[in-house]
Amino acid sequence: MVPHNQDYEGPRTADRGRVRELLFGGMMKLGIPLETYPGEMRVAATPSTVRKLVAQGFAVVVERGSGAGAKLGDLEFVAAGAELGGADDVWNCDVVVKVRPPSDAEAALLNEGALLISLLQPDVNTALVEAIATTGGSAIALDKIPRISRAQKMDVLSSMANIAGYRAVIEAAHAYKGFFGGQITAAGRTRPAQVLVLGAGVAGLAAIAAARGLGAEVRAFDVRPAVKDQVESLGARFLDLEYEEESGAGTGGYAKEMSEAFLAAERKLFMEQAREVDIIITTALIPGKPAPKLIEADMVKAMRPGSVIVDLAAEQGGNAAFTKADEVVDVGGVTIIGYTDLTSRLATHASQFFGTNVVNLLDDMGGANDFRIDHDDEAVRGALVLENGQMMWPPPAPEAPPPAPPVDELPKLATQEVPIAPADEGAEESEAQGSSGPWLGLLAGAVGFALIGTLPEGFIQHFTVFLLACFVGWHLVWEVTPALHTPLMSVTNAISGIIIVGGILQAASGSFPDSANPLATLAMALGGLAILVASINVAGGFLVTHRMLQMFRK
Amino acid sequence: MAEYFPSIQNVAYLAAAVLFILSLGGLASQETARRGNLYGLIGMLLAIGATIADDAVQAYELLIGCVVLGGVIGAALAARVVMTAMPQLVAILHSFVGLAAVLVGISTYLTSDGLTGTEHTVHLIEIWLGVLIGAITFTGSVIAWAKLRGSMSGRPWLIPGRHALNAVTVLVMIGMAVPFCQAHGTDGLTLLLIMTVLACWMGVHLVAAIGGADMPVVVSLLNSYSGWAAAAAGFMLQNDLLIITGALVGSSGAILSIIMCRAMNRSILNVVFGGFGTESGTTAPAPSDGGDQGTIFETDAATLAKGLKDAKKVLIVPGYGMAVARAQHVVKELTEMLRKSETEVHYAIHPVAGRLPGHMNVLLAEAGVPYDIVFEMDEVQDDLPGTDIVLVIGANDIVNPGAETDEHSPIYGMPVIQAWNAGTVVVFKRGMGSGYAGVQNPLFFLENTRMLFGDARDSLQAVVSALRG
Repeated sequence: MVPHNQDYEGPRTADRGRVRELLFGGMMKLGIPLETYPGEMRVAATPSTVRKLVAQGFAVVVERGSGAGAKLGDLEFVAAGAELGGADDVWNCDVVVKVRPPSDAEAALLNEGALLISLLQPDVNTALVEAIATTGGSAIALDKIPRISRAQKMDVLSSMANIAGYRAVIEAAHAYKGFFGGQITAAGRTRPAQVLVLGAGVAGLAAIAAARGLGAEVRAFDVRPAVKDQVESLGARFLDLEYEEESGAGTGGYAKEMSEAFLAAERKLFMEQAREVDIIITTALIPGKPAPKLIEADMVKAMRPGSVIVDLAAEQGGNAAFTKADEVVDVGGVTIIGYTDLTSRLATHASQFFGTNVVNLLDDMGGANDFRIDHDDEAVRGALVLENGQMMWPPPAPEAPPPAPPVDELPKLATQEVPIAPADEGAEESEAQGSSGPWLGLLAGAVGFALIGTLPEGFIQHFTVFLLACFVGWHLVWEVTPALHTPLMSVTNAISGIIIVGGILQAASGSFPDSANPLATLAMALGGLAILVASINVAGGFLVTHRMLQMFRK
Repeated sequence: MAEYFPSIQNVAYLAAAVLFILSLGGLASQETARRGNLYGLIGMLLAIGATIADDAVQAYELLIGCVVLGGVIGAALAARVVMTAMPQLVAILHSFVGLAAVLVGISTYLTSDGLTGTEHTVHLIEIWLGVLIGAITFTGSVIAWAKLRGSMSGRPWLIPGRHALNAVTVLVMIGMAVPFCQAHGTDGLTLLLIMTVLACWMGVHLVAAIGGADMPVVVSLLNSYSGWAAAAAGFMLQNDLLIITGALVGSSGAILSIIMCRAMNRSILNVVFGGFGTESGTTAPAPSDGGDQGTIFETDAATLAKGLKDAKKVLIVPGYGMAVARAQHVVKELTEMLRKSETEVHYAIHPVAGRLPGHMNVLLAEAGVPYDIVFEMDEVQDDLPGTDIVLVIGANDIVNPGAETDEHSPIYGMPVIQAWNAGTVVVFKRGMGSGYAGVQNPLFFLENTRMLFGDARDSLQAVVSALRG
């Protein structure tokens, strides 16, 4: 790591002084333009994220009407501290934050030295990147934020995929003519809808969670067996592909043969599933390539009429045969939904998440007051496409291998999948309560006993301790889980070896052997024997308990 | 220093007592259990350390020799024991506590002096009781150990007029306490030793009269006695730590006995003083319906394997027979195969399955069955109608529908796992012999029951092979 100061003086760094010159009224301006792409309903900020941007020190300018698609009124933005303006005002800002890549016309509006933050896909939109470069501005592609755990809070792709997965289920439920959750009513019963989710990335997992939330039975498939646990944690069944047996026999061209065997097994599995399920949601994408065709024409035809396929890969050509981007097609009664604007269909919260990701990114870049493009910041450098008109993409290869994709923020079903509780605690509780009855009687008896007053004081003290210990033991042991009753016995075996203390007091309170006092010698010998057997208990009891407890695992 | 020392020792004893309480508290769940055991160990070391540091303790050679020798024997026993032999180990460890209590009691009697009047009498009664309980625990546990490891027949050994004999023995022991308390110095030693022998004898035949399947209750009860014996030793030595620990252990054993008795719908007196069928004078009553109950349907491993392939939900009910056949590892293998093919596999453990409370859980844990698929009886009852196949492995009475329907059945009222509510029940059994209670099991004659005769381990191995092939 290069120390901060060295880099701070470097020529590539946008320095604070120069940025301030560009400011109007000494404040750094941040513009939120209206999204002009047809059908785009999202906006790059919401009133609540504007409030945070203002707190970071930005003067925020929002283009009039830009929140309309997400049902956010201009006045709400004003109330949050933004200023309203036209397109020119917004594009005149030092930082412009957008959802979709700008049109060529919009790109030309960027000021020299200003920074554009948006989805950009620089490897696809090369002409657009060049157009932005001619303005002498900088650009950060939100879709290129590296997937490192520190940058999760800025990862727009994950937050949008989450929304798309959820919305896909809603669209499927809308098109499906039945219940998702099974119903048992006076008018008859229905089985829960059977949902298959292909691809268990963020979108797939969100779809699983949403479908489970609606009560459907969900199964999921992914070529990466590692995601099995995540799938199962959401209450879905993970479909295993059994193909190793066939591929193991191959000799030459192993890799190809194996992949053919794999594909054949996969096709077989999908065909079986297509016959069984009501809903298929596909989320398989390969970066920079057309989407893999998973659901072929014969599988679609094998599905029951009324079934629904939602293809999240429609924009990249679709995972299913017959998918048409942005359209709903009907193939023999099977509805195939190819919407590419699923996040726009949930524009309010999509804007909220998008805006929050942007706030986090800007916070990482120092806010308005310490704003800088830090090349040592892995998250920023990875997404930096242009700096003052200079091409910065692709970034230098990272030194460390890229960490695993983020999993901490996966959607989780909060309530549905509570594991079966180990015991009927209520019942046990009442048993414990009920059982203390005889003990209360015993206590009363003991008090009466003590009242007789003929017993030595020392005895009564010890007896009090004894009774209290009985109570503690009684309540403690009812709490012990029945599965651990054997370890309970062995550990009580061990601790009842405490009688060793008695043995020690008897055996060692004098010199041994004491020829002058044969009785004392005998007493000591007996004590020694007691020590011997009690130590067997202590050592054996604790050790065997340890051995047993080691074996209990989930 | 000397005058402050006792208080430091008391603090150490208090800490040890608290650690023992935490130790039992830790067993409330599998996650905290290991820590609980550690607390217990620390408490024990603290207590021993504090006792050895006492100024009165001098004979270190004897002390250390005995501790080391005992420790080595104990560790060797614990390290070598196989999990199926756990009941025996627990029983023999109980006997050691009993023996130690007897030894400490007699030793205390030999050295007790300086007490007069009521204090002296109370002290002598404490010794009398401590030795009595210790002796019963000692020999009772030895017999339980012998029965559990099979060196002695598991059948009840009933001597004629044993109830009267017991009553007379108790009266004699009480009667002998009177001259014992009046004796001066150590003159009562003979009486004490006679009483010890009588108590030993009582321990032997009390336990010998109890049959094999009641062993969970007996072992729990002896667990409890060993605690009370330690507590009694605490009273004699005026040592609160011994009293507290003894009381904890005593309550623990008492609760386990109650749980086991409830699970069999019998009272503790019934278990201890009357084996099954003894009331009517026969050891094995005829099945109440008598004679032929219908036909049984047999199945084989290959058919069962096919059925398991189609099943979505399987419940396994293990019993003592699984432990005898040492089939737990094959059961685990089967479980894994089924779970791999997306079949849901659960286990249901009846509280009295096996020869020790929690015995089945330990065996399954040893085989590596994850504890979160092992459930208690009450947790599975409602799921049974939705279960495709129930595998009853070496269990009989705990799945007997007669316990719910047949008022004349000796086990009527005992809670049982309602296996018959499932789609199909497959019973792994050696032959058509009846269970411990000597009752015929109507489950075997139901239409949805299939019998798979033979050694449970071999049968299961065949099922596993069939599933694989």
